[in-house]
Amino acid sequence: MLNLIRRDYILLKWQILIFIPFVLFFIFFGDHLDPAFIFLIASFYISFSTYTYDEKAETNRLLNSLPYTRKEIIASRYLGGMVHMIVAIAFTSALLFIFNKPYTVTDIAISSALFLVFASLFFPLFYVIKKGFFTPVVIISFLVISFIGPPIASFFANHVTAVTNFINNLSVPALYSGSVLVSMFIYAVSWGISVIIYERKAF
Amino acid sequence: MQIIISNSSKEPIYEQITNQIKSSILAGDLCKGTALPSIRKLAKELQVSVITTKRAYEELEKEGFIYSIVGKGSFIAEQNLEMMREKKLKVIEEQLMAAITNSREMDLPFEELQQLLNILYEE
Amino acid sequence: MENVVELKGVTKNFKGFSVENMNLEVKQGYITGFIGENGAGKSTTLKMIMNLLRPDAGEVNIFGMDYKQHEKEIKQRIGFVYDSNVFFEGLNVKDIKRIVAPAYKQWDDALFYRYVEQFELPLNKAIKTFSKGMQMKVSLAIALSHHAEFIIMDEPTAGLDPIFRRELLHLLQEIMEDGQRTIFFSTHITTDLDRIADYIALIQKGNLLFNHSIHEIEENYTLVKGSLDLLDRDTEQAFVHVHRTSTGFEALAKNVQNVEHTFGNDVVMERASLEDIMYYFKGGMQHA
Repeated sequence: MLNLIRRDYILLKWQILIFIPFVLFFIFFGDHLDPAFIFLIASFYISFSTYTYDEKAETNRLLNSLPYTRKEIIASRYLGGMVHMIVAIAFTSALLFIFNKPYTVTDIAISSALFLVFASLFFPLFYVIKKGFFTPVVIISFLVISFIGPPIASFFANHVTAVTNFINNLSVPALYSGSVLVSMFIYAVSWGISVIIYERKAF
Repeated sequence: MQIIISNSSKEPIYEQITNQIKSSILAGDLCKGTALPSIRKLAKELQVSVITTKRAYEELEKEGFIYSIVGKGSFIAEQNLEMMREKKLKVIEEQLMAAITNSREMDLPFEELQQLLNILYEE
Repeated sequence: MENVVELKGVTKNFKGFSVENMNLEVKQGYITGFIGENGAGKSTTLKMIMNLLRPDAGEVNIFGMDYKQHEKEIKQRIGFVYDSNVFFEGLNVKDIKRIVAPAYKQWDDALFYRYVEQFELPLNKAIKTFSKGMQMKVSLAIALSHHAEFIIMDEPTAGLDPIFRRELLHLLQEIMEDGQRTIFFSTHITTDLDRIADYIALIQKGNLLFNHSIHEIEENYTLVKGSLDLLDRDTEQAFVHVHRTSTGFEALAKNVQNVEHTFGNDVVMERASLEDIMYYFKGGMQHA
C-alpha cells in the first residue's frame, strides 16, 4: 500500500517542481491572505494533482488488475491525502520561514482541519462523478462553498446560540484540537463511504 | 528430424506430423531410442498448437512407434520392420483391389490398367 | 485436467445486454482463444475474470480460489494485457516499472530488462509517444516479468501490423514452452488462433456457444456445399445454418458423420475455418 502512496510522487515528479513556485506565488502575492489559506492550497495541490491524473489515465483499471484490493486502493488515497498534507505543510512552513513570513501553529491546525473536511467531501465525489467532470465540479463547489459558507456559518452562529455559546466557552487549545478531531472523524466517515462506493464500481 | 506442415492440406496437422515421423522411422532416419523433442518444443518449432503435437505423439504411442517416460520425454520404440512392411503391403493390396474393382465396373481391360499404373509409377 | 479459470452460472445484466448463466473453463497449460464479434460479451467476461466487474450471480474461481478471500494471491499470479494503454501516459517505461514492480512479490528485474531489450523498448521516452504495437509490448513485458502463471489478454493483436502479430504469436508459444503457463485471449481476428490455440471458446450475444479443443472443432464442424434440391425439412436438420444462392447452398454442419450419412458423395465438404463457424452461428441465431 505504501507503494501506492509512493506512486503519487513518481507520477508527480514534474508537478512537484511546479509546486514550489506555486506556493511561493501565494506567499508573495497573497500578502493579505491568511497563512492558513496558503497551507490549505498547498495541501490540496498534491492530492488533487494525482486525482486529475488518475482521471485521465485508465488508472483504476490498472490498479485493480494489480494485486491490490479495492479497500487498499481507497486506503492509499486517504492515507496518501494525509501524507501529502503533511509534506505540503512541511514544505510551506519551510518556505514561509525562509522568507520570513509569520505563521502560527494555529494556522496549521485550521488548514489541516479545513483540508480534511474538504477532502472528505471531494474524495468520494471522485468515484461518483463521471470522467471529465471532476475538475469543474470541484472548482464550482469550492467557489460555492467559499461564497455561501460564511453567510451560512454566521446564520447558524446567530440563530443557534446554544452551539455558539458552547464553542465560545471552549478554551482555545480545546477548540483547535476539538476541530481537528471532528474533522478527522469526518475524514474517517468519508473514507468508509468511498470504500462502499468503490467496492461497487466496474472498471 | 524434418517435418513439413501444409496449411492447405486436407489432412489434419496432427496426421501430417504422425505420418512424417512414421516415414522417418520406416526409412531408418529415426532409430530406436532416439529422443523426440518435447511436445511443447515441437509445437513451438512447427508453430502449431500444443494440443496438436500432443495428439500426434499420443497416436504414435498408441500405434507403438514411440514410448514416453514421464519427466523424460518421448523416444522411438523398437520397431518390427518386417511386420510393418507386411502391414503396409496389406494396405497396398487393398487399395489395388479397389482400383481393380473400379476398372471391372467400367470394363477397363487389364492392359490399360497396367499402362496407367506404369505411367503413374514413373511420375 | 486442472482448470485455471472456472465460471459457474455467471450472470451479468446491463441495459440491453447481458451475459447469461455462463459456464466457462480455461485449462491449465494451454492457450484458449476467446472469440466472438464485437459486443458479444468478450470484454465483460474478461473483466469478470479480472474482478474489474462483479457478476450479479454465479461463481468466479481462479486457480481454484475466489476473489472475496484471495484477491491478492490470485492477482499476484496473473499477467494482463489490455487492448488500450492503461499505464500512465506521461511516464516512461522506467517509471512505469517503478510503480508496477513493487506490487509483485515475484518481480524479476533482470527478466524485465531482457524483454525490454528483446522488444527494443526505449526506457526514457513517455509511452504516449509509442505506437500501439509498442504500447502492447510494454504491457507484455510487464505481464511476463513477474512469472505470472496465467496470462490474460484482451484483443492483443487488434491494431497491430501483420508482422508484429506473427512475432507476438511466436513469443506466446515461446512462453508456453515450460508447460506451466496458461493463456486466455480474446480476439475477433480468428486467423491468429487457427494455429496456436488449443481451445476455442465462442461467445455470441452473451451466451457461450461452445468451448472445444481445436480437434473437436476440426472433427465435428464442416462446411458443406451442394445443390438446392438436396435440401428439405429433414436434411436441413444437419446444419447450424444454411446459406442459399441461386447456384446452390453452402452450410455449416455440426456433425461430419451425419452429413456423410445423409448426403454421401452428393455434396462437397470442406474444412470450416473459425471465421466460417462464427459467421454461420450468427446466421443461425438470426433465423432462430
